[in-house]
Amino acid sequence: RVSSDGKPPKFQPPPKPVIIDRKTQKEERRFLSPEFIPPRGRTAPLKYYIERKDMIQRRKVFNIPEFYVGHVLAVTTADPYASDKSKRFVGICIQRGGKGLGATFVLRNVIEDQGVEICYELYSPRIQAIEVLKLEKRLDENLMYLRDALPEYSTFDVNMKPVPRMDHEEIPVNKLQVRMKPKPWSKRWERPKYNIKGIKFELPEHKMKAAQKWSQPWLEFDMLREYDTSKIEAKIWKELSEELEK
Amino acid sequence: MRLSVAAAISHGRVYRRFGLSPRSRLDLLRNLVTALVRYERIETPWARADEMRGYAERLIDYAKRGDKDERAMRMADFWLTEKDLVHKLFKVLAPRFQPHPGSYTRLLQIPNRDGLDRAKMAVIELKGNPLPPLVRPRRDSDKTLLNQLLKGYRQDAQRAAAA
Repeated sequence: RVSSDGKPPKFQPPPKPVIIDRKTQKEERRFLSPEFIPPRGRTAPLKYYIERKDMIQRRKVFNIPEFYVGHVLAVTTADPYASDKSKRFVGICIQRGGKGLGATFVLRNVIEDQGVEICYELYSPRIQAIEVLKLEKRLDENLMYLRDALPEYSTFDVNMKPVPRMDHEEIPVNKLQVRMKPKPWSKRWERPKYNIKGIKFELPEHKMKAAQKWSQPWLEFDMLREYDTSKIEAKIWKELSEELEK
Repeated sequence: MRLSVAAAISHGRVYRRFGLSPRSRLDLLRNLVTALVRYERIETPWARADEMRGYAERLIDYAKRGDKDERAMRMADFWLTEKDLVHKLFKVLAPRFQPHPGSYTRLLQIPNRDGLDRAKMAVIELKGNPLPPLVRPRRDSDKTLLNQLLKGYRQDAQRAAAA
């Protein structure tokens, strides 16, 4: 470059690097475990407050990771009759139920052509470790229809390695449409009350139309059935984060 | 012999049963909500008014979101059968109740119906309506003991301030 006075050009320092702090970006996505949200009812809030204190106490000692329905988890529980005194089970989470300390989740796997479902309690002291092997959400909140789906959709390798997590941002949604075994099923999944989006229905058109007879379109407009949890969630989230930071 | 006890027990059920089916119950309540929005004060059986109250207040909460909101417009479209009332809901009632956080209706019981059924009747009205008030708040009479003592206290205070 040609200099202005014949001297060498002035030293231009390189532009400062922009540091994207991953930690602050992670905090933008808040996940409140569904068992913290108290159900609608006439129970005194004191009961939920006491339960929450116990749940936070347990979480301080034992780490319960964030997981949704559709994740593949490996759970190690204590077992007095096993040689190692512990048992490991790998499976896909099909349902998360219960509120408070009795919160459960059901893991399903197919082992040697036999479908096995185990219902674990999140806050049970027998659980020694929960690892999330594969992170992916599915289209539905309840994957009970995997019982009537072809077994290949429920088989997961017991010695699966945990899939490495890319970003601390979004949990990918798997838009997989599952193929079913021939009818009869345990429940009539084509009926609108289950509202399942993750099945590829290969039923004839007239059967799908007949199933729509049981739809209740007025339920969507029934305002008193809605439970708005945003304020409750915000309060509980604040309480949780304060307690866990101590 | 008791065949089914479960059919008669309804522990914890909050929604009353009206009409022929759940759809017909919502249609009934919808007609009442439309009438309330149109006339702002209606006289119905007490049970229907009580059931309708929750829906009317939630409808106004939806209307407060504004008419640009897709969900609010769909709710108003379903709940108000006469479509000119949708405009009244968003342009008149929503601004009227904007400062209040909740409880936009008043439910008062009236003497039983004159017909054969002697049903328990009630009047449900939106607060701030232009009609003459139903209940006039009355002050306590001057002759009660407490009021006489307070009057005496006020007079003493005035005399002490004047002196």
